[in-house]
Amino acid sequence: MQPLRGTDDDKLDALLREYAKACPDRDPSANFMPNLWGRIEARQRQVFSFRRMANTLATAALALSIALGVYMALPHASQANPGQSYIEALAEANALDAPDIVGPVHLEPAAEPAQ
Amino acid sequence: MLVDFELIKRAQQGDSAAFNEIVLAYRKRIMGQITRLIARPEDVEDVAQEVFLRLYFSLDQLREEKVFEPWLYRLTVNAAFDYLRKLRRRQEFRMSDLSEQQVMMADAVAGGRADQDEQHHKKVREAVDSLLGSVSEADRILLMLKEVEGLSLKELEKIYKVNENALKVRLFRARQRVLKAFGAGAGKHG
Repeated sequence: MQPLRGTDDDKLDALLREYAKACPDRDPSANFMPNLWGRIEARQRQVFSFRRMANTLATAALALSIALGVYMALPHASQANPGQSYIEALAEANALDAPDIVGPVHLEPAAEPAQ
Repeated sequence: MLVDFELIKRAQQGDSAAFNEIVLAYRKRIMGQITRLIARPEDVEDVAQEVFLRLYFSLDQLREEKVFEPWLYRLTVNAAFDYLRKLRRRQEFRMSDLSEQQVMMADAVAGGRADQDEQHHKKVREAVDSLLGSVSEADRILLMLKEVEGLSLKELEKIYKVNENALKVRLFRARQRVLKAFGAGAGKHG
């Protein structure tokens, strides 16, 4: 061991040398390999379940998209007559007797032109 | 290299026996490195297993034989870094509070008065651990690799993929911070 003399730099170097000696290479315990394989298998299971979940979600999303596509493609009872023009459909939807759209109309008689 | 590339290739193809052989060849070395990086013998196996776990799941990315060891070193450094980061979240290191006992120990260590028993080693580890609390986990690991593991700047360059000058600057600053903490601790307690 180096004697403690000199600057803080020297002291720190000596301490670090001593530290290296205090942390030698060490032998693993008997459980090292079984525990390692246990962790590997646990991670594999995790990855597998995540993949399975992702696949299930992707399949469900695809099925939902197809179902929505079919639903949108089918004619519905409430749907306007496909032969109607836009103006016809609008007129039908906003009938003249609808009070919130068309109110009473008051027509003032036109003034008699001066003779 | 402690293993040949054929063995690595077999492990890449899913041969568990080949992977076992790689672990058996490297585990003692890796555990030694981790012991010096984290200074906590009780957690070394756990971190070493994490290194080999990461190795197992990333082995298929390895293409060249010559990069295997630097790459394994990088996995070790990253696992140690993650461990230290988690540890720091749990407890605060404060060099300014370096205990009198630790300062005396540091002096005693360098002065050659202490015995080489486990108790002594434990105190040395604690003293260095406290000192390194004055720098970030990344700098701590860098300092350990350079000052304790004795890696050259070229080797560090391969591990960190950072140029030599940047590493020199970072090492210098980290060492200055540790020295400052060392001086402060020693001054505070005598």
